Amino acid sequence: MAEQWSDRLTNMPTQLFEKSLRSGQHINFDGNVVIIGDVNPGAEITASGHVLVLGYLRGLVHAGAAGDESATVTALHFAPTQLRIASHITRPPDGGFSEENKPPEVARIKNDAVVIEVYSPPR
Amino acid sequence: MGRVIVITSGKGGVGKTTATANIGTGLAMLGKKVCMVDTDIGLRNLDVVLGLENRIVYDLVDAVRGNCRLKQALIKDKRYDESLFLLPAAQTKDKTAVTAEQMKELCERLREEFDFVVIDCPAGIEHGFKNAIAGADEAVVVTTPEVSAVRDADRIIGLLEAADINDPLLIINRIRVNMVKHGDMMSVEDILDILAVDLLGIVPDDDAIVISANKGEPTVLDDDSRPGRAFRNIARRINGEEVPLMGLDEKSGFMSRLKYLFKAE
Repeated sequence: MAEQWSDRLTNMPTQLFEKSLRSGQHINFDGNVVIIGDVNPGAEITASGHVLVLGYLRGLVHAGAAGDESATVTALHFAPTQLRIASHITRPPDGGFSEENKPPEVARIKNDAVVIEVYSPPR
Repeated sequence: MGRVIVITSGKGGVGKTTATANIGTGLAMLGKKVCMVDTDIGLRNLDVVLGLENRIVYDLVDAVRGNCRLKQALIKDKRYDESLFLLPAAQTKDKTAVTAEQMKELCERLREEFDFVVIDCPAGIEHGFKNAIAGADEAVVVTTPEVSAVRDADRIIGLLEAADINDPLLIINRIRVNMVKHGDMMSVEDILDILAVDLLGIVPDDDAIVISANKGEPTVLDDDSRPGRAFRNIARRINGEEVPLMGLDEKSGFMSRLKYLFKAE
């Protein structure tokens, strides 16, 4: 548990959006953000905590925007334009993410690099 | 009270004006009383596409400012002169010549007279766009199967929702069946997957569109034109009829259709 969700972030306020974010729309929140919907290309989320997308993530996400390296980004379909966690900035490999059915994935910082893995619930 | 529908896209050159001309004309063909409004002040085109350029005396700005009566600014279409009208944009002014409040008032006046008011929106998301949507209660978003056009359509749908114009309908223009088949062009499914709105119609790419626009004859009037048929169906759907989407493959010959049938087995 501790490895996945740090206590500090767990205790942060969480904002819930029950709507897809379209191009040009952005969310800026001091805490965790949960989107029930898609994040389309051109949409942006900036959160000081975790970001969780229950849908397609195709836009730009910045988790741990205040510098917290334990922040994570999780999405049912993981294909962001660009991904930022704390001060790390990554972009998808050239050729992009595969759009086929794939399991939910989570991005987090491990050994000073952003790593994307298949999501598995914390034990 | 008539319905006020804005035709918009965000990106330029995807076919807003063509769609407006064809939807307006298509609705008139169904016996409706229609007024098309060109809000692209300074870059007016709708009059040209309709072949009515040489009849303009007064324009939208004149009508809104009271330089003339609204009736005087309305141009009768040469084909449906009792039911189809155009309110042209001004060419020598710019978008700031009209305010959103004035547009709202104008739309209210027009909807008393007409069954449908179809507004041709300028490209962009600035003043001209805000004016165009000010008086509208419904929107039709036009896009082409290009990533950039779809991106802009997505932005526009967000802005429409913010302005309380919900559930816009989508026209996908200029689909090229062969390219979609080879995976070189975004498919209808790809586009709907991102935009998540209801589809109003699909218009195939066709030379007939260019020819008809240059002649000032909307393609919807042409019985043999495929885009014309697509726009007639779109007009009927706007009018509340249920019309199935036409197959994009209709052009292909008997043999290939037969092959397709066998493949499907």
